[in-house]
Amino acid sequence: MEKLNYKFDTQEEVKEPVHVGVVASGDLEVLVYPTTDPQTTVEIVTGSNGFGKVWKNVLDRFFARYPLHADFKINDFGATPGVVNLRLAQAMEEIKHGE
Amino acid sequence: MENSFVELNGRDRAKALFDHGTARELVGPLDNLYSPHLMPQGIVPESDDGIILMKGQIKGLDSVVISMEGAFQGGGIGEVGGAKIVAALEQTLKDNQNGHKEYPIIVFDTGGVRLQEANYGLLSISEIQNMIIALKKYVPVIGVVPGRVGAFGGMSITSAMMSYLIATDEARVALNGPEVIEQEAGVREFDSSDKNLIWNTLGTKQRAATGLVDEIVDDDVDLIKDAIVAAIQAKKDSHRTENVDFYLSLLKDIDFNQPMDTEEYRKLFPTVKAGNHHIVEAQKSSTPKDKSRGRLWFEKLTGIENAESEVSTVLHATVDGKEFIAIVPDTQNKRFPRVRAGEVGLMEGFTVAKIVNQVIEEDQDKEQKRPIVCIVDVPSQAYGYKEELIGINVALASSAAAYAKARQAGHPVIDFIPGDAVSGGFLAHGLQSNRMIALGDDSITIQAMSKASAARITLRTIEELEEATKHVPAMAYDVFNYTKLGALYKRIDSIKSWDASDKNVARIQKEIDAAIDSTKGQPTDLSYRYTNEIAVNEGRVATLKMRKAVEDQWNN
Repeated sequence: MEKLNYKFDTQEEVKEPVHVGVVASGDLEVLVYPTTDPQTTVEIVTGSNGFGKVWKNVLDRFFARYPLHADFKINDFGATPGVVNLRLAQAMEEIKHGE
Repeated sequence: MENSFVELNGRDRAKALFDHGTARELVGPLDNLYSPHLMPQGIVPESDDGIILMKGQIKGLDSVVISMEGAFQGGGIGEVGGAKIVAALEQTLKDNQNGHKEYPIIVFDTGGVRLQEANYGLLSISEIQNMIIALKKYVPVIGVVPGRVGAFGGMSITSAMMSYLIATDEARVALNGPEVIEQEAGVREFDSSDKNLIWNTLGTKQRAATGLVDEIVDDDVDLIKDAIVAAIQAKKDSHRTENVDFYLSLLKDIDFNQPMDTEEYRKLFPTVKAGNHHIVEAQKSSTPKDKSRGRLWFEKLTGIENAESEVSTVLHATVDGKEFIAIVPDTQNKRFPRVRAGEVGLMEGFTVAKIVNQVIEEDQDKEQKRPIVCIVDVPSQAYGYKEELIGINVALASSAAAYAKARQAGHPVIDFIPGDAVSGGFLAHGLQSNRMIALGDDSITIQAMSKASAARITLRTIEELEEATKHVPAMAYDVFNYTKLGALYKRIDSIKSWDASDKNVARIQKEIDAAIDSTKGQPTDLSYRYTNEIAVNEGRVATLKMRKAVEDQWNN
């Protein structure tokens, strides 16, 4: 198990908290909380150690495309980057849907 | 599959049962009530601890759905998720007691106790069972086993207590998983690689044909919803844990030394007629019996030397107005080879249930209910193929339900623990007590699973497991760490397990009487365990936090 933390500069305000996913084998859950802090934070707890760089790449790409401003919490049980992208996109849809 | 219920995750299953737009989730993922026990063991937690709680309406009926996420840690019950279930059932009970009809529905998808929080898992499951027994007086408690994990371990015992149990044919229900039986009893007892054997034995079709499941429903959200509502409206109750006479008769007809297959059992089952059984008290004898800590203290506390009874593994007697019950080994047990070391098997579960039910009945009209003293020395439940085929989960549920009923009717139920208190054996014989007294002896093991099996299931070596459990009370195997959970009423360190001198026996009698007195005018539930000082300050902090969260969110 490993804990990872990232920060991003983003602009799109998130108004309501959102949750998607399950901490199942090869899967993850994403929690998104509105924040008043100047930066977006991403806190990851992952069962697979040593993938910090991969996470950074996935998140860089996601926030470049969707600059959501919020606190993200991710609990990951060995999801592949593809599954991570899918869950992040799902979280984003929930956020848009809620508005 | 279109409209599949099984394929949904735990949260979507709960949501799918409610009328559109009426579901409200309580203490959900965003409330951040994580298990405090997983991260220190290097395990990724889940924000809802794998238990989803929703309130709303099902076909217009006010309902509460508790759904287990089988994909998270095998749906195992830990402290936080367990407390969520107990608190939800307790609030549902209160609403019903106040005249507000509200129907509890439990969607099972669980391997039972979460082994990384073993002691909390066992405590939680007994507390869940206590609530179900209490609730059944007011409303049917409906269970659904959709399938993927199924209902295993301590939660298979819980499933047996449901008023009505619905399952799809993708589900399995059993106390011990095949891997655990293979680990404990050998591959010849149960080959865990034989998938056909597993499904034919533990699968819904066989279970429904032999009284362990009440209804098979196709995997379709609407059909499952219809079945639930029909069961509620018809006030269905299988009385599964009250068929003790039936099972005691059935056991007489089976030779446990011969193999029996699913077909044979299916043929036998409908032909059995429930006889009249009465379990007479243990008698003095002149032949020495197999020694055990449980037997030693039973004989000393009751004064019955070399106690003998018709069921050689279960001793009971009322002495000085107290009913003492012990489960003991019988190395010469010819009929039931799987309980020779004192395990709790089919015969033991049903016999203890019968004894406790006899006590309840005899004291029915009395104002002062007889105290029941449960002498606990159980190394585990029995691991055997026929045990699973017939339904050892029902046997254990029957005795646990009987103890819970006795306690709720006002009988003080006191544990005296001079020996081991392990797993399903402890759930059946001990964990429904309102006070536990244990001896402070290193030889006593209190746990959910043997080290060998726990290591196999959690994919660790025994050494790794021992290292992980040494300093974690949630996982501990010894009575001293167990005390830190707040579960014990008293630990007596000056008396050791085999040290039943006259003086020590007199002291224990006194302690038992004091424990009985301490129940006077107190709640007849299991709340003592999480409201005492040790529990509040240390042992059950997360439990209490969850209880408060559920209470706060219940009505708004």
